[in-house]
Amino acid sequence: MNAILGRVLVLAALLVSTGGAVIGFAAGRTRSQEGLKWAQRFAFAFAFLMIAATAVMEYALLTHDFSVSYVAHVGSLATPTWVTVASLWSSLEGSILFWGCVLGIYVAIATWLTRHDYHEYMPDAIGVWLACAAFFSFLIAGPANPFLSVAAAPDGPGPNPLLQNHILMVIHPPFLYLGYVGMTIPFGFACAALIKGRLGHALLKPMRESLMLPWVFLTIAIMLGGWWAYEVLGWGGYWAWDPVENASLLPWLTATAALHSMVVLERRGVLKGWTVTLIQATFLLTILGTFMTRSGVFNSVHSFTQSAIGPTILAFLAAALIFSIALLAMRIDLLEAEGNFEGAVSREGMFLFNNLMFVILTFTVLIGTTFPLLVEAVKGKQMSVGRPYFDSMVVPVGAVLLFLLGVGPALPWGRATKEKIRRALLPPIAGAVVLLAAGYAFGVRNPWTLLTLAFGGYAAQVTLSQMWMPLVKRLRGGDSFSKAFFDGQLGRGRRRFASYIVHAGAVVVFIAIAISSTMRYTQEVHFAKGQTVNVGAYSLTLLNVFDRPEPNRVATVAQIAVAKNGVQKAVLEPRMNQYLGMREPIGTPDVYSTIGGDFYLSVMNIDPAGQSVAVNAIITPFVGWIWIAVVVMGLGGLMALIPVRPVATAFKPVPADAKQYGKEVVAG
Amino acid sequence: MNRTVLLVGVFIAAALVVVLFFGLGKDPQAIDSPLIGRPAPNFALREVGTGRTISLDEFKGRPVVLNFWATWCGPCWEEHPTLVANARAMQPGVQFLGVVFQDNEDKIQKFLRDRGHAYPTVVDDAGKTAIAYGVGGVPETFFLDKTGKVVAKYTGPLDTGLLQANLQKAVQQ
Amino acid sequence: MKNLAVLALCIVATISIGAQTTTQAPDAQMFVGPPQGQPITGDVLDAKTAEVSALLRCPVCQGMSVADSPSEMAVNMKHQVHALLARGYTQEQILQYFERSYGQFVLLKPKFQGVNTLVWVLPILAIAIGVVVVVSKMKKLEQPAPTTDDREPITDPYLDEVRQLVGDKK
Repeated sequence: MNAILGRVLVLAALLVSTGGAVIGFAAGRTRSQEGLKWAQRFAFAFAFLMIAATAVMEYALLTHDFSVSYVAHVGSLATPTWVTVASLWSSLEGSILFWGCVLGIYVAIATWLTRHDYHEYMPDAIGVWLACAAFFSFLIAGPANPFLSVAAAPDGPGPNPLLQNHILMVIHPPFLYLGYVGMTIPFGFACAALIKGRLGHALLKPMRESLMLPWVFLTIAIMLGGWWAYEVLGWGGYWAWDPVENASLLPWLTATAALHSMVVLERRGVLKGWTVTLIQATFLLTILGTFMTRSGVFNSVHSFTQSAIGPTILAFLAAALIFSIALLAMRIDLLEAEGNFEGAVSREGMFLFNNLMFVILTFTVLIGTTFPLLVEAVKGKQMSVGRPYFDSMVVPVGAVLLFLLGVGPALPWGRATKEKIRRALLPPIAGAVVLLAAGYAFGVRNPWTLLTLAFGGYAAQVTLSQMWMPLVKRLRGGDSFSKAFFDGQLGRGRRRFASYIVHAGAVVVFIAIAISSTMRYTQEVHFAKGQTVNVGAYSLTLLNVFDRPEPNRVATVAQIAVAKNGVQKAVLEPRMNQYLGMREPIGTPDVYSTIGGDFYLSVMNIDPAGQSVAVNAIITPFVGWIWIAVVVMGLGGLMALIPVRPVATAFKPVPADAKQYGKEVVAG
Repeated sequence: MNRTVLLVGVFIAAALVVVLFFGLGKDPQAIDSPLIGRPAPNFALREVGTGRTISLDEFKGRPVVLNFWATWCGPCWEEHPTLVANARAMQPGVQFLGVVFQDNEDKIQKFLRDRGHAYPTVVDDAGKTAIAYGVGGVPETFFLDKTGKVVAKYTGPLDTGLLQANLQKAVQQ
Repeated sequence: MKNLAVLALCIVATISIGAQTTTQAPDAQMFVGPPQGQPITGDVLDAKTAEVSALLRCPVCQGMSVADSPSEMAVNMKHQVHALLARGYTQEQILQYFERSYGQFVLLKPKFQGVNTLVWVLPILAIAIGVVVVVSKMKKLEQPAPTTDDREPITDPYLDEVRQLVGDKK
């Protein structure tokens, strides 16, 4: 019953999205109001059908209906409820259904928010959205169907054990999907602008906001992935330049570049073609990313999600590439610039270099990830491009980006006198010196880390002074503190304040990554029960070794007390988990986190009979700041989405033909 | 029509799609051996059960089927009967030799007792021999010609067809 | 006679027992020759082991380095690296040894040789081309404007509004 209902809903979603896409594009050509209304209805219908299908699947999972193929594949009576709910996205077919559901929600919200405006662009935008929706519906209805009917077995194998180890497993995939899938919406707007041959000021707001929201989710998702790897995989690191990790990073890089490019676009009316290209690249990279994760072509720790739908996704990627490039080649020249630059050593000039750095990073990570494939195709030999390569290439570019993070916002907009530039660029050197000296005093000797501290200190001073400038100016002008704060920072100045919050978080991320990677201390510890061993400033005592049976696994736990200066700080329980049905046990580390750093224990060998244990002890300074600072970045991004009154710009006023659709497009 | 955009776009897109398409047919886990065409590194290891030292050089003059395996490896269980049957049929013209690493000698002896043996099995402590042969996982089988040169390597469990096909290459030399 | 036979048996037994204990796995020497560096010990040895292991790919894991991987294969390889460094082998020799048995696949840092040079060169080339493109775009975007320094420079509109409000107060 569930299986049949699910199949019907998905098939209906496929028909509705295909029909809606056709209607949307037709309405775009004929400029029909009625056509647009129907496209909107089909968009809502698609959303409803996908959400319903997903609800049916969750119901089937929670009631352990093993007659549904996906439930038979990942369900199990032994798994806890939260794992059952999360098993929707634990394996391929369910995760594509989840993609469809998230896409439906985004399309519905985007269609609702734009239902009265932007009539010039909406038919084509909806057309593009529903065309993408049609592809994913096709995947769910066909090659990746989770609703097939099977003979109901009494029980199932449960999802992959690695995915049951940690609560982060529940939230990392949804955040990732909310990020990835959301990029379809700005893609629709960008394509609509190209199809119309026009990017008016009115379109900026929906384009920016529909890009910013998924960006927030993707930023947090990438951090959650790194944090999860750190807490679960046992090697003590958070980023290995694994192909699937890179897949999540690539669209983030171009999306960040696009957000910056849009600031210049809004302020100066230039870089239209460039912004549109970046947005299209972001969407295409999400499709590439999902191909990389699921196709089995790349060697990755995420290999449990591989499947046979690789060729189908590749075909869609190829089609989307052809569509995007054709559109760009034919229409990009129609997007007229409406302003200009005033000088090279200016904030807008720095934005251009910022974009260049992000694009270089994207290119480098893409080349590094696909290079082994390329070599094998050309020469038939296998080679590897691993962490050492990416670290050597990315670190210098990252340093330039951090430099720009400081110098960019320090410089004024437009042409400035040498005196003004000097007054802007020299004072933050104090911040650089302070942070550099502090780092050196605390034992930092690695040259790249010292450079990061210097650039970071400079950027921190610039960011803080720019962030609070409206408040300071108003206070100097005699305003009360609350008026100055609530109006200057949270009112009219909110978007500006929010972007500096994001920058502040970014500076901390740069510094925390530099310190946590170069100041790490590792030590192998072998001890028996009751023994105490020193590791750096800490001392470890093995308290006990015991087995702990759980419904779906048997955990062999090493209970270890961690003390510093004679004071016990924590009792850690790293363990080896033996899951029913898996040959090899899987280790789970345990971590004691403080503001200054983490103390991390990972089991290498455990002997309950002999009551002895071999563990890897890793002291990583400042790593917790990465997670915190990225959350700050995400919150800053969310704050920027809260609506403000529009900004004065160089844009021309709205063209007269906007009246054709019966409503005036807000000039803003 | 913006020519630059078109050319750059088509170039990047085509390169990307072609490379990815090529990748679809391949298994990223299948790695070629650089030892092929080179003399097999000699070793002298202890035989399970008898304790006798067996060295690879002893078998020069005949083709050798060198099989790396372990008792904890499922596919090794599958291919064992194939190896035993073919060894019985082809020895002493072709020499079969098994190398076990990362395992326990009692388990190996029990395995051979229960499932039969027709050729010597040696133990590679600390996996040094496996490393020298570039063994990534088990089972992996090397085919040597009578001069001791590696002519083929097969990763995964063998069936008689594959074994004979690879052996042909060794015998032809 | 019987004593002679027993003696002979004992001698043969002793010789065979002696022969039994000399097992020898293939040595790095046959791949890369004798050590070309100095033997190292202690903390330096541990640090260098970690450094070299980080450049080697664990063949059974999905892309992890030998330094990070907990698998038995990787641990064996790390011990090999440790032993070779202690004997005085250089990093180049050790990497070459593993390359000879596993192929280039095992090197995490692509060698700067043959087609592999592209992976190092292309990003550098991209930066060079990018800088040229950005600079020419900036020039195109700059229109020839009258550059008198007493012209009001363009400022942040938010600050403008703030200044306006502030000015009103004064």
